[in-house]
Amino acid sequence: MFYVALRIILYDKVRSLITLLGVVFAVGLIFAQMGIFLGLMETSSVIVDHTPGDIWVTSKNSKNFDFSQPFPEYIYHQVTAEDGIQSAEKLIVAWGIIRQKEGGTEQVEIVGYNPDTGIGGPWDMVEGDPSLVKNGNFAIVDESAMKRLGDIQIGEYRDVLWHRLQIVGISRGVKSFTTAPIIFTSFNLAQSLVTYMGSDSTVFVVAKVSPGHSVPEVIKSLQKKLKGVDVYDKGSFSRKTRLYWTMETGVGFSFMLTILISFLIGMLIVGQTIYNSTMEHIKEFGTLKALGASNYEIYKIIFSQAMINALSGYLVSLLITIMSAKIYEAFGMVMVIKGWVNLLVLALTFIMCLSAAFISIRKVKRIDPAILFRG
Amino acid sequence: MQIPIITKGFSKIYTEGQFTVNAVSDVDLQLDEGEVVGLFGPSGSGKTTLLSMLGCILRPSGGSFELYGNNVVFQDDRKLTELRKKYISFIFQGFNLFPALTAFENVMLVLKLKGIEGNPAEQRAIELLSAVGLQDRIHFLPRDLSGGQKQRVAIARALAADAPLILADEPTGNLDFVNGRKVMEVLNDLAKKQNRCVIVATHDNRIEDVFDRIIYMEDGRVIREKRREG
Ligand SMILES: Nc1ncnc2c1ncn2[C@@H]1O[C@H](COP(=O)(O)OP(=O)(O)O)[C@@H](O)[C@H]1O
Ligand SMILES: [Mg+2]
Repeated sequence: MFYVALRIILYDKVRSLITLLGVVFAVGLIFAQMGIFLGLMETSSVIVDHTPGDIWVTSKNSKNFDFSQPFPEYIYHQVTAEDGIQSAEKLIVAWGIIRQKEGGTEQVEIVGYNPDTGIGGPWDMVEGDPSLVKNGNFAIVDESAMKRLGDIQIGEYRDVLWHRLQIVGISRGVKSFTTAPIIFTSFNLAQSLVTYMGSDSTVFVVAKVSPGHSVPEVIKSLQKKLKGVDVYDKGSFSRKTRLYWTMETGVGFSFMLTILISFLIGMLIVGQTIYNSTMEHIKEFGTLKALGASNYEIYKIIFSQAMINALSGYLVSLLITIMSAKIYEAFGMVMVIKGWVNLLVLALTFIMCLSAAFISIRKVKRIDPAILFRG
Repeated sequence: MQIPIITKGFSKIYTEGQFTVNAVSDVDLQLDEGEVVGLFGPSGSGKTTLLSMLGCILRPSGGSFELYGNNVVFQDDRKLTELRKKYISFIFQGFNLFPALTAFENVMLVLKLKGIEGNPAEQRAIELLSAVGLQDRIHFLPRDLSGGQKQRVAIARALAADAPLILADEPTGNLDFVNGRKVMEVLNDLAKKQNRCVIVATHDNRIEDVFDRIIYMEDGRVIREKRREG
């Protein structure tokens, strides 16, 4: 029956091509929307995800990574003193201003980490090393920041919050959902640069749990002891950040809506084609029924048509998506193409095409054999 | 041996609004094994209606119907399908071939429905198409066949269903005289060889001589019967 479906599709080339285009359009849009959406999600939590450590301590009611409030440093000591904590690091994430070469200023996100351990610092360097920011007015910028900040060379100076910093390294893959360039400095420098924080504050404490201790239990105990802060495991804080940027800003909703609309458009196009094709073949199907075919056997032909539409459309879209991912990259956007996304879209495509076939199924079920006797 | 068809008082009344049409009235019919019967009558005389009821497709308004010893109860759809599958095959005026499938594939499709696949099916399809004289057109698409050839593919397909009773409604209706005759001869010949029963509804008087028996209808009634000598 699959063969019959294939022959029907190949026979009516124009219609099949239009259907293919429709499916490719719909599925391609779903791919792009999902890819960009997931790309944004990944970007928004990229530093959290790349920072080693099991536990994140944040200010009370902190909503995301980028806009967390400072809290007193003694919390850090309380954390390190806790049973089951192997080590902990302080991390500052704050907002600053950088002076542009040609005048004017630009807002930047300053990340201050401990250069001895590198925790919270850059994880992939184009040039230089994360430890170079130690003991001085040094900074590392991300290569993605150059679009905003102009070409940056190692060794040159930039003014950040009215302090002259020397660039000692260039990182790769560090972006924020806010699109502000990210500048890494040592924790100590960040603490003195960002004056609104106060000299004995940190924004995060990132801690590692000793082997043999359970992360949830250590978190529970910390939550009981520490006042004025929230304690998350790494995954939760990453998710919280992602959900904040994608959901609370409405961005996520808009993506979902586009995906839904694409899905419906695809369903309509496939449904329309399969319905027309079924109606055109209704006498043939009726004859098969008269000759002893069950409804089920005819459904197989129709569902096979839907499956072929789905599969061919999906494969072409996947190809286009993989090729266009490079284009997105060129525009500085991240489009995520992952196995599970592909499978999810494949499943969506099948659901889209198969549900589109259902109207036709009802038609076949109700074929009035009397039509066969009409010349 | 079972008698293929026995009807008693078979009738069909169509009602449309306050109008009623006695499309088939009080038809008593018996069909014997291996008979090729022509159902003649002017347009509107009830041939198609009678054929649809014999084909277990249309529910009669009255009378009884026995098909190969089975009392046909028209209320039970599943049973009707079963009876059709077991006993009846059809040929229609419109050939109803899948345009995307070759003659061979159209026949193969029905063989597949019957559970015959692979080599035996291919052999059988070629056999059937050769029997209707299309051995050199086996892999043609319907659009590349003439009307008569298409109808012969439809006959091969009907034979592939391997039912003892074949019902044909105006099988020559879309064909010219030469082709119509040829189709009827093929059908008659194969029915005789394979010992199948055939009922052909037609108003094509030019093919009368093909049939063992002719039933004439008018206004839904059987008005006359004629048997071939011998
Ligand atoms: N579905 C229907 N509804 C109402 N009247 C019908 C219907 N089908 C056929 N008829 C009427 O029944 C009569 C017999 O029709 P039909 O069996 O098609 O005759 P034939 O096949 O001999 O031309 C005609 O008067 C026709 O108008
Ligand atoms: Mg008729």
